[in-house]
Amino acid sequence: MGGESNEGEMGLNHGGDDQNGISRVGMPLYAKVDPFFSSADWDPVVSVGVGGGGFSSSHYPSMAAMDNPGMSCFPHYQTGSGSGYHDMPASLGPFGDCGGGGGGQFLGSDKKEESVGRLIRAGDGHQVSDDVVLGDGSSNRKRRQPVAESQWNKKAVEEFQEEPQSQKKHKNDQSKEKMMNKESSQSEEAPKENYIHMRARRGQATNSHSLAERVRREKISERMRLLQELVPGCNKITGKAVMLDEIINYVQSLQQQVEFLSMKLATVNPELNVDIDRILAKDLLQPRDRNTPTLGLNPFTGFQGTMQNISTTTNPQYNSLPQTTLESELQSLYQMGFVSNPSTMSSFSPNNGPLKPEL
Amino acid sequence: MERQMINKKKRVFSFEPTKLPPSEVFTRKYISHLVPALKKLNMGKSSPQINQLTVKREVDKALALSAQEFAWSRFLLQKLSSSNNPTTTTSSSSIQTQILERSNDEDGEIEEKLKELQKLLPGGEEMNVEEILTEIGNYIKCLELQTSALKSIVQDAT
Repeated sequence: MGGESNEGEMGLNHGGDDQNGISRVGMPLYAKVDPFFSSADWDPVVSVGVGGGGFSSSHYPSMAAMDNPGMSCFPHYQTGSGSGYHDMPASLGPFGDCGGGGGGQFLGSDKKEESVGRLIRAGDGHQVSDDVVLGDGSSNRKRRQPVAESQWNKKAVEEFQEEPQSQKKHKNDQSKEKMMNKESSQSEEAPKENYIHMRARRGQATNSHSLAERVRREKISERMRLLQELVPGCNKITGKAVMLDEIINYVQSLQQQVEFLSMKLATVNPELNVDIDRILAKDLLQPRDRNTPTLGLNPFTGFQGTMQNISTTTNPQYNSLPQTTLESELQSLYQMGFVSNPSTMSSFSPNNGPLKPEL
Repeated sequence: MERQMINKKKRVFSFEPTKLPPSEVFTRKYISHLVPALKKLNMGKSSPQINQLTVKREVDKALALSAQEFAWSRFLLQKLSSSNNPTTTTSSSSIQTQILERSNDEDGEIEEKLKELQKLLPGGEEMNVEEILTEIGNYIKCLELQTSALKSIVQDAT
């Protein structure tokens, strides 16, 4: 770090030299925000971002991709495997970054392994020029200013990376700008290789910001698809807005149903004389036609056979228990893997024992 | 002695949730939480309105306790513990800062709808869009299971 700050000071002294100066300017800016960055998880990214010091990839294992141009991290986003990105960057892109331009504080607080996001954030600390921010018309959506800034800043960071000699800087400026504006993968791949560890597919924008965008969008649309299967009658709906409408209506109607039922329950409460097994048997026997998606919950009808098996026959595995009394039946349910609070279930006494957290 | 054996077995099997589909697990949990609570309520009955609120609260609590693997259940529990009355979510929606603004009208609509969704989901204000979509999915599922459980309880009691 000492070397870095030295260079930074030198950069300040240089000042006027446009090409060299600008490339230096980045460094003191980083040095300035260093304590700021170091407070978060950003150190590796900062070191990556600054780059010239050569301490780039050693701090962060997955950043080794930087040294290895052939390695593309885009598949990591797709598969979640490899270099330890074990969570999809949920806060990647503008979602996570929206406050990012204003100072990267909150960005550092989450998601250590999101390299692209961190790259974006790494650029937040400085602004090289404001010109290209205005020119950022690549996306069809309006971006918030900080996001645009971060996008631009990230590109600026890229440039610092790529040029040991800074004469190419301006050229890369413009070419990067073109990159933002049109989708071409091939002309910019060489410079990108030095720096970004995420590579775009051919024929798509290599702007890492838009890559992150795309990943995010795909995740969101995948979730929408799952929801579509979950909400009844939404199979023919295409389009997020209508789908969201349906979801909202469905959730509201479910909540109203629950309210209504609980009111009813309040009125009939005194006659509450329930046997759990009876309720469950009734419950399970209600047919459910829908196939639910893999949100972790299986179709409701799946276990009907199992339940009947328990209630009617002696389960061969646990044949020591009679199937008649409530308690014994509950115990057999326990043995089937029913995770619950045993004290509450078996005793049915008014004192609810402390309910343990489950799963 | 049998009980001990059973308890031991229970402990073993509690690590194998795959034996039961999660929907059934949830239903059982839910009923196991709700019914004793209702019985306890039965003992001290007060005016019908208060009773209704309490029942609703117990209902919600049972829901939250039965689904503790989900984020929204934690928020729901917080809400329940902080207030005695099950109120609707506070209206301040922070999705503005989380959802990207879009220039098209269509996308603006979508954002509006996401905000509404956020209000519906307990704890939705603190989630970003992807989390909301995921959580809404299992929230819907748990609501469905809850309604069916409540239906059967009510049927049983009447």
